[in-house]
Amino acid sequence: MKTTMKLLCAFLLPLIAFCVIYPSPSVAHGERAQMPQLRMRTVHWIDVEASTTKLAVNEIVKISGKFMPSKYWPHHVDSIEDTAYLNIGVPGPSFVRLDSRVNGVPMIRSTSFRKGEVYDFEITMKARKVGRYHVHTVINVKGAGPMIGPGIWVEVTGDEAAFVNTAETLLGETIDLESYGLGNVMAWSALWFAVGLAWFVYWLTKCPIVVPRFKRARELGPEADQMITTMDRRMGGIFLTLTLSLIVGGYVYAQERWPITTPLQTGKIDVPPLDQPPTPIAIKLIEARYRIPGRSFRMEFDVVNDSDRPVTIGEFAAGNLRFINADVLDVKPKDEHDLVASDALRVEGAPVAAGATQRVVIYADDAMWETERMTTMISSPDAVVAGVLSFFDDAGERHLVEFGGPMIPDFGMVPR
Amino acid sequence: MDLLIIPLIVLLFMGIFSFHFALLVGDWDYWVDWRDRRWWPLVTPLALTVLPGVFGFLLWDKLRLPLGGTLTILCLTLAAWISRYLNFHLFADFPMNFVWPSTYIGLGLILDCMLLLTRSFFWTGLFGGFTFGLLIYPLNWSILAPFQVPLELNGTMLTVADLMGYEYIRTAIPEYVRIIEESTLRTFGAAVTPLTAVFAGFLNIMNYWFWLWIGYLGTKAVWIRKIV
Ligand SMILES: [Cu+2]
Repeated sequence: MKTTMKLLCAFLLPLIAFCVIYPSPSVAHGERAQMPQLRMRTVHWIDVEASTTKLAVNEIVKISGKFMPSKYWPHHVDSIEDTAYLNIGVPGPSFVRLDSRVNGVPMIRSTSFRKGEVYDFEITMKARKVGRYHVHTVINVKGAGPMIGPGIWVEVTGDEAAFVNTAETLLGETIDLESYGLGNVMAWSALWFAVGLAWFVYWLTKCPIVVPRFKRARELGPEADQMITTMDRRMGGIFLTLTLSLIVGGYVYAQERWPITTPLQTGKIDVPPLDQPPTPIAIKLIEARYRIPGRSFRMEFDVVNDSDRPVTIGEFAAGNLRFINADVLDVKPKDEHDLVASDALRVEGAPVAAGATQRVVIYADDAMWETERMTTMISSPDAVVAGVLSFFDDAGERHLVEFGGPMIPDFGMVPR
Repeated sequence: MDLLIIPLIVLLFMGIFSFHFALLVGDWDYWVDWRDRRWWPLVTPLALTVLPGVFGFLLWDKLRLPLGGTLTILCLTLAAWISRYLNFHLFADFPMNFVWPSTYIGLGLILDCMLLLTRSFFWTGLFGGFTFGLLIYPLNWSILAPFQVPLELNGTMLTVADLMGYEYIRTAIPEYVRIIEESTLRTFGAAVTPLTAVFAGFLNIMNYWFWLWIGYLGTKAVWIRKIV
């Protein structure tokens, strides 16, 4: 018996510890863990901004920008054109989301997005917990997982205890979402717990119950029902009646107090694409080479400029990395983890004159390829890259153009 | 002796049951915006009956104690409240009114009282197993109803529970992963709740008998006989 107990304890304690700790609903944001192809060929995030990076509890921060589902979405990954959800990557509800929109349409429920289309988004959040958070934009794609966008550090200060979050029901009642309904839940739960415990205690009063009853039940064999006394049966009747009355009573009480309810709401929302003119720039990727010793990406394009102004390339973005042509744009990293290389894009053969077709070569050279583990794409069975080029004309107008194609690694062994 | 065994049994039930329940019911019981009319009242009784069935058999057969239902579910409830408070509220910062556990103790009481009164596993399965499945929704309606009051957000109607699910951000649980309200039964409109309840009740009769039988096999197993 002693060893049995020891065995039980040895088996039990870890199990209980496991159950109390498991499962925590928090999530780590593995921005670098995702395969480079997945980062480059799923969702391109453009101009993601936070309205503020320092705010107090109860204050509002808006995350806004654009995104473009890639036309080169990998075939083996479930498509964003099926089911997707615009989300935000923060550790737990450190903010509450008050509003989120794509092209002006509220994104309360799930939706789908079209490949190659550019969407505007804006997410409005209210600070709830004090801390410094790396806030990421995320699009969850059913079957494929989270497509994580760039992260921005946002610091929340102030007094958490002063956080308020209210809503008004369609019945005109103003409710506090931090505590609404909890008193009722606890009262009923406590009542049920008390009734259940009373039943347990009734049998405990017969203690010792384990060994004597075990022996007696074995002695009596098929006649063991004799162990049940009249008092026991009476108790059974009382508790059964009490239980059924409480269930019916609770149901009637809820119907009286909350007569108007609706089922949980679900179902997909439609987002119409923005009505925008087709871009006048067409590009064709001739060759993409990544030179490993120099951490240098060289790409060669044929650019067709159908606009009536000369254009040049100001930015090349791929997999949340931004390479800026300092001659055209002035973009500085927002914080120490902002993946912007302010002067890392070299452009040869631009500007492209209005109406012209021209060969353009760009070089995106930065250690970010290495540090953000984009170079692991060399070991991919499907070495196709995709990115977005930002063309600017001489009036400052921007045209976003996506390109994609095979990538060839250059190990520095063959002289060029 | 009892002072040692009973607390150990309680701890054992807390551990096994909450682990088992987390695996099988999980999100349906974690979040108030998962407790729909279709899946939650169907999945829950099927998973919830396992321990009351197995241990109900053992406690009745070996000790003539009608405690299997109530005691196991009491233990589950206690473990669930501790885990929600520590993990979901204190650690993960969700408001407690978004992650409270449902109540099932009444169902355990029904099983135990039926067993005591009929002294028959057959009739307990037929009546108790059925009401166990049937009454999950009405039993919880007293605490769930306020969360299904409608409100409006930016031109969309949703329930309080949906709103909380939207506002309190869960990065790893996007809206579409909720398995709720999906089925052809939706076309029955308001009748979906009673239909699901009756269906769950019938399934649960078999389910309860099955787990009793597993308990019976347990008493026959040699290794258990050696321990007791
Ligand atoms: Cu981050």
